[in-house]
Amino acid sequence: MLRTFSVVLALLLLSLPARAAEEWGIDHEKKARIEAKVVDILCELSGDCPKNCGGGKRQLGLLRDDGKLVLAIKNFDPFAGAVVDLIDFCNRRITADGLYIANPKLPMFVLQFKRLAPDGKWSRANWFVKRWAEAHGAKNKGKWFRHDPAITRAIAEDGVFGIPGLKPPKDD
Amino acid sequence: MLRVVMAVLALAWTAAFAQAALAETPKRVTVSGEIVDTWCYISEIMYGEGTAHHQCAVWCAVGGIPVSIKDANGDVFIILRIEDRDPVDNPRVVKIQSHQVTAHGDLYERDGVRYLVVTQVADDKGVVNLTHEEYGIQPFGE
Repeated sequence: MLRTFSVVLALLLLSLPARAAEEWGIDHEKKARIEAKVVDILCELSGDCPKNCGGGKRQLGLLRDDGKLVLAIKNFDPFAGAVVDLIDFCNRRITADGLYIANPKLPMFVLQFKRLAPDGKWSRANWFVKRWAEAHGAKNKGKWFRHDPAITRAIAEDGVFGIPGLKPPKDD
Repeated sequence: MLRVVMAVLALAWTAAFAQAALAETPKRVTVSGEIVDTWCYISEIMYGEGTAHHQCAVWCAVGGIPVSIKDANGDVFIILRIEDRDPVDNPRVVKIQSHQVTAHGDLYERDGVRYLVVTQVADDKGVVNLTHEEYGIQPFGE
């Protein structure tokens, strides 16, 4: 009986998608898996096309087969976008798994997993922090945003509120 | 040899022409508003405007999340380029987070998204949206 249950459970697990997006509770969100070409958005719009989609300095999108351009706004890391996860796939087709947020103010895609289409190896969309840790040391990667030198410098110059000299009140 | 060279040139010209033909015609615009972290503002995952959210906006700009200008109607214009520089990992973009600006640029609209190539930041009033007294420091209070 136990063996039967184990086999059924294993089959059920195998029948699930290799990777599955998780809900974040954002208004208008819907789990989505799309196959699309990774594009440099500015190149797609204007014809200004540097090598390698701008080498990580430009915003990237997902160009679907129906011609719809989807803005990839976020990856799976805290406070990080999707550029680092997508740049290695510049002008190639991927399967993107995540959340499509059909907000009428701004439709956008949250990338949670990706793979080279049609059957590449899945990887979680968390390469921003991986690359950050490679560049700055892995010790502080959990709160990379508290330890990044550019951020530390910006907050030191302008303060936490963006106005030099304006400081939060001290607790009594 | 000459034939090969001609063929290569023809192919290059065709490719360039095809790319240009696909490009869209932008509209010259002037946009005024606050520089915002697009994700936090649109998702409403936290309060995403002004001084209360400035630190988080800096985190997200360094993290490569698209930065926008939010105008008085609440519409956002994703910045794809700013004064001839790309926006990701750009210290200028980090520096102007939460600032009230007026920018001239080229507007592209595609599939429900407004994309802006900022040719000039004509006016920068700095951070003027004082939201921290009501909302504290977003998202962690420090």
